[in-house]
Amino acid sequence: MVKRLRPIVPYIPLTIWSVVILFPLYWMVITSFKQPIDINRGISYVPWVDFSPSLHAWQDLAVGTVPVVGPLRNSLLAAAISSLAAVVLGGMAGYGLARFSYKWGPWRNQEIAFWFISQRMLPPAAAILAFMVMFRYLHLLDSVAGLAIAYTGFNLPFAIWIMRDFFAALPRELEEASLVEGATWWTTFIRIAVPLAMPGLAATGILLFIFSWNEYLFASLLAFESAKTMPVTIAGMATAIGTKWWLMSALAIVSMTPTVLLGLLLERYIVRGLTAGAIK
Amino acid sequence: MARQTSPMLATPVPGIGTAAGHRVARTKPVAGFFVNPAAIVVVLLSIFPFVLSLAMTFSNWNLLYTGAQFIGLDNWQRLLGDATFRRSVTNTLWMTAAGTVIQYAIGLGLALSVLRIRRGQRFFRLVFLLPMMISPAAVGYIIGRMQFSETQGPINDILRHLELGAVPWISNPAMAPWTIVIADVWQWTSFMFVLLLAGLQSLPEEPFEAAQVDGASSWQIFVQLTLPMLMPVTVTAVLIRSLELFKLIDLVRVITAGGPGTATQTVTLYVYDLALNRGDMGYGATVAYALLILVTIYALIYLGVTRRSVENAR
Repeated sequence: MVKRLRPIVPYIPLTIWSVVILFPLYWMVITSFKQPIDINRGISYVPWVDFSPSLHAWQDLAVGTVPVVGPLRNSLLAAAISSLAAVVLGGMAGYGLARFSYKWGPWRNQEIAFWFISQRMLPPAAAILAFMVMFRYLHLLDSVAGLAIAYTGFNLPFAIWIMRDFFAALPRELEEASLVEGATWWTTFIRIAVPLAMPGLAATGILLFIFSWNEYLFASLLAFESAKTMPVTIAGMATAIGTKWWLMSALAIVSMTPTVLLGLLLERYIVRGLTAGAIK
Repeated sequence: MARQTSPMLATPVPGIGTAAGHRVARTKPVAGFFVNPAAIVVVLLSIFPFVLSLAMTFSNWNLLYTGAQFIGLDNWQRLLGDATFRRSVTNTLWMTAAGTVIQYAIGLGLALSVLRIRRGQRFFRLVFLLPMMISPAAVGYIIGRMQFSETQGPINDILRHLELGAVPWISNPAMAPWTIVIADVWQWTSFMFVLLLAGLQSLPEEPFEAAQVDGASSWQIFVQLTLPMLMPVTVTAVLIRSLELFKLIDLVRVITAGGPGTATQTVTLYVYDLALNRGDMGYGATVAYALLILVTIYALIYLGVTRRSVENAR
């Protein structure tokens, strides 16, 4: 009996944790279809049985009672521009660190790479106030461009760190052949290494996009009004209309749909990116 | 095992990740072309802000007033007597420790479980990935505000049906930090799961087969083989998660805004509050720098303490 039950045992924790993850998401979805009256009447779990679903929260969002289009556009632009910039610059630096020997004073490649990644590990609170000052002088406060610049700085160390791993893992023979045939390092990089490292570049880019899309601290202090992003909009609503659960739910669904879809479709790349720096 | 290393803590360990032994011997002029643009960007967008912030800690600069003066170490002195700062440090340390430990324990359990099943692996992996895709601001709302709403949330409703009584998740100062930790665990246990699963999959099979032949129990295998061999990944995963938790702000901002009182105030939230609501840039920078110093000390101690167990695993 015990033997026969054994294969089922690991499913128990896995199922419990899946419920822990999925129930709040289910709750959020049904709440976005509830009306104030449904919520005041008590706690209800099943649409059509406990309450009749209504589209009024979604209509509110569609008419623009709560601004959504602007924040979505700002989030998209800041995240896309910064992750692209970080992948380009980080790809080059990662390739350099994987293929050349550097000497910066006492530092070799290993120390240089560590210097880069340590920038990402330090608490951003210590940099954010300086960003407020810098952006004030440069007139970049509350602009998507400013946010994209700040995120590039934030994302770049991470991009370098994982791209170095991806390039180091590539076979060198093709590149050497190309160099022997007289191609420059730059052409070799663009024509041979970059296409081979494409999965790694994609993994890095997707991950950085998600990080930036979800970022809160920088966005809340650098882009508070016209350049407001989705996380800042949500956090702002939480205090202002805390009990308008239906509207908050709809807003949360809108903000997470793009990244959740990316996650489901590109799971492999995301896992690859997450584990690249940590496991070889 | 030789290649299983933890480069996040890449204190100079030669040959990790770089193509050691294959290196192009001489430095070519073109080499700088690849790294310099990134280095310049990092100096401008990371080093310079950190230096500027340090300078700000010696000033009384306030956004609400004009003119800033050099005030020496006054801000640092104020920090030492600041009860809110002390409270925010204790809160941050406590939530970091609790969050990291719980996430590691659950993440490891899930990773071990998923390796033992044949059907449905992909389903669980996809479900577990979901929370990481959501912004912490939204997680704060979905978990902290909705699930743990004391009057209108499903959790208290279920507890009431079980006749266990409602729990003051948000309004009780002793409970509120736990609610935040739970929300962080909901979101980031998946990160531990992903890393530990990859780590487990990269372990060689021979030692495990040998142990089984020798008749070792699963518990013995787990304690004497799996855990020590997993050490490098553990060290990295715990370091990354704890460093992230030290920066905690968004969840707290949404769930409790630091309250009740200062029960869930974190250091980063305090910096945010000082800068945004009081315009106190000089002192805000000082608090932020104190966090930076704290995190650096923590990382150094952590790396020192864990170094031996990582090396043993190689």
